[in-house]
Amino acid sequence: MSMNVIETSGLAKRYGRTWALRECTLAVPAGHVAALVGPNGAGKTTLLNLAVGLAAPTAGLVTVLGGRPPGSPAALDGIAFVAQDTPLYKNLSAGDMLHLTRNLNRRFDREYAQTRLAELGIPLNRKAGRLSGGQQAQLALTLALARRPKLLVLDEPVAMLDPVARHDFMATVLTAMADDGVSVVLSSHVLAELERVADYLILLSRGRVQVAGEVDGLLATHRVLTGPAAEAGDYAERLSVVHARRGEAQAHLLVRATAADPVPPGWEAHPVGLEELALAYLREPGAAALPGPARARALPLETGPLETGEPSEVTR
Amino acid sequence: MSPLYSDQHLRVSDAERQAVTDRLAEHFAAGRLDPAEFDDRVGRAMSAKIRADLSGLFAGLPETGAPAAPELARGGGGTPGDAPRGTGSPIEFRLDAASGVPTYLQLVHQVEHALRLGYLKPGDQLPKVRDVVASLAINPNTVLKAYKELETKGLTAGRPGQGTFIQATLSQVALPELTGLRKTLLGWLTTADGAGLDQDGIVALFTSALRDFYERRSGSRTRGGAASGETEGVA
Amino acid sequence: MTALTMPARAEQDASPRPVPWRRMAWVTWRQHRTALTGAAALLGALAVLLWIVGLQVHHAYAAAAACRPAGSVICYGMFGSFNVMDGFLANGVILQVVPALIGAFVGAPVLAREMETGTFRYAWTQGFGRRRWTLAKLVLLAVAVTAAAGLFTLLMSWYYRPYFAAGNPTPQTPLFPGLFALRGVAFAAWTLAAFAIGALAGMLIRRVVPAIAATLAVYAALAFATGLYLREHYLTPLLTSNPNVPGSAWIISQQWYTKGGQPASPSALNQVLQQASPQIAGKGGIPKAPDVTQYLMQHGYVQWTSYQPASRFWPFQWIEGGWLLALSVLLIAATVWLVRRRAT
Repeated sequence: MSMNVIETSGLAKRYGRTWALRECTLAVPAGHVAALVGPNGAGKTTLLNLAVGLAAPTAGLVTVLGGRPPGSPAALDGIAFVAQDTPLYKNLSAGDMLHLTRNLNRRFDREYAQTRLAELGIPLNRKAGRLSGGQQAQLALTLALARRPKLLVLDEPVAMLDPVARHDFMATVLTAMADDGVSVVLSSHVLAELERVADYLILLSRGRVQVAGEVDGLLATHRVLTGPAAEAGDYAERLSVVHARRGEAQAHLLVRATAADPVPPGWEAHPVGLEELALAYLREPGAAALPGPARARALPLETGPLETGEPSEVTR
Repeated sequence: MSPLYSDQHLRVSDAERQAVTDRLAEHFAAGRLDPAEFDDRVGRAMSAKIRADLSGLFAGLPETGAPAAPELARGGGGTPGDAPRGTGSPIEFRLDAASGVPTYLQLVHQVEHALRLGYLKPGDQLPKVRDVVASLAINPNTVLKAYKELETKGLTAGRPGQGTFIQATLSQVALPELTGLRKTLLGWLTTADGAGLDQDGIVALFTSALRDFYERRSGSRTRGGAASGETEGVA
Repeated sequence: MTALTMPARAEQDASPRPVPWRRMAWVTWRQHRTALTGAAALLGALAVLLWIVGLQVHHAYAAAAACRPAGSVICYGMFGSFNVMDGFLANGVILQVVPALIGAFVGAPVLAREMETGTFRYAWTQGFGRRRWTLAKLVLLAVAVTAAAGLFTLLMSWYYRPYFAAGNPTPQTPLFPGLFALRGVAFAAWTLAAFAIGALAGMLIRRVVPAIAATLAVYAALAFATGLYLREHYLTPLLTSNPNVPGSAWIISQQWYTKGGQPASPSALNQVLQQASPQIAGKGGIPKAPDVTQYLMQHGYVQWTSYQPASRFWPFQWIEGGWLLALSVLLIAATVWLVRRRAT
């Protein structure tokens, strides 16, 4: 599958006088688990609402599933959305929710849904409001997956779940991806478990996209250089530093560089994990690493922010 | 119990049909199939649309190169709650989330480790991708990446419609070589100790050098050129 | 990196077949069965009450009509007691709130509850599509409440028939505001309008309880405005100077005018009456109204009555039903339009 499940161009959304999202340009490929990460209020829910057609853009364009408008019949058919706090009709039983979802959609794998709920130990005659948080989340997920969507969109799906429920939830999502090729876009503000799960990362901060790209590519093009704090300032000129942390004698610079790039003498280079990378960017609102369309230019050496809050150029 | 989300309905590609046909040809050449059966099975293979069509084409035929291979049950889904034996793989993966090692590498290492210790023998099947995903809650692409890495290393081979199978063992290093390496290592350790490095320092230095060595080697493998030289100062 | 494929090329792929409309029947029933059964229970309970009391009313009327000799004081008295029987339902005010209740409790929660509980995030991302979903629900519910109200009207018409019957010496006017809206098509039309107001209120206010309150308030205002001002003017009222206006007519206004065409003030009239013969002025007895009227007319005063005749009952019913239907359609269309337009 080479289509993009979500594409945006200059997408922006304003509520009243506040811009929830600005200049958002993304191309999320199919066949991935794309994690949408950012602090609260960064615009994650806004972006997802725009993608599933629950909100309309103030400016810019958004299309889904290879160029279709969100909210169009084809988009509604192919995308299953589980909003924050898993909205379900609380006074309807699980069986009623199944029947309801079946009636509202063209495709519904009733057998899968019933088998899955039986596996999970969710009785069909219990009201949805009386299920535990984990069970409600699993019910909502089961309904979404039974629609056999091409894209599954989850807004902070595991925020309220205990660790076991979280694990089971994500296992269900990822198994569906393995079996059926469903693409997944999920938002989270918990970084720790993302590395196992996500292979595409979108970092949102204050309504703007800071980072968007495949995780493998991002991790391959960033390193932490550790060396004497005194020299850190000099190298900042020549390296493209995303974030720096300094002690009295030692400094860590998270830089955009690959394994083939030279390490300054006396410095050590370490690979970077996803959590560390995400945190570093989130701490530097001015830094950004957007892949954009492929460019022919080589990586220019440039000044990056060094705890002075100066914005850096977005180039590669 | 109907299979949950089984892959039997997925379409097969030309490459997969061709691979199946090739293997049938091997069995025919070995004399296990007579011409009529061979024609019949190849015909079914070439006209197969979905994976379910390919199952049963190797009925009665042993796996090549593994006369004592364990039973490989075609358990697509099975009953939930079954012991992992039901899926047909001798090993089960685990994940150490805090180790800092990328997930796919952990899987690769576990396979290699299992091979070394004898849990896995050539002809054994690795756990199915969806089973790994279901039990560890990791991205399927990660598992695929690990399996691809193993294939690149030559340790495994994927069989369309069946799974991924071990096809080689890890290269064994001969005993005299091992003895020589050990002696060199002890010599280096004496030098390091004499320079004032304590145990943790030695481990840190060794780990970092090991990592750099493999990074550069895989880098030069993909780039085809020598990485630039590096001056390693004493920390 | 995948190249961007903007702008949208949605036309190239065929849209999937829309989910059939009939699926919404179960959806609507299951989600609103509490409200619908509540409305049915209300109507049912009232129906039982109407049936029981109605039988008594009909018997009393039949007895009074069978009373001989007709026109005697005793028989007249029977009619009199019949007419004041059961004041509770007689002036129809109690039953006037039924459309408001049904409309508010069935109509307002349809959208208000979805918005309040956030379940619209589920409902409007399903394959059915939010516009069709809203339209199907509102139309189905509207038809259901209107039909129920229509059936109930039959029972009410039966109940009130003796009050309007020809044999009744002092019949009620069919256009009496309290009772007009309960008979013919008006009751069903008011129920429909209340439902439509409720639906729109629910979408605008987005909280169930305030939406219900707003629906009741708007309905009350509309009902009062119609009964007090609007209905009088559906057709131009007839004017007559004849003092004998039929009892079944709906008198809108009556006014004495002087010979010169000026409205006569009550004090002027009183002055005139003072000079009247003691019989009329009230000494030693209550002046009979026809005598007063006769006297004033003899002295050149004219009483102009503007009224609507009873024969205009059905034309008025159609007019009222018509504009209420148009209003309901408009409100429901506005609701659907709002649903379509509304961002989170």
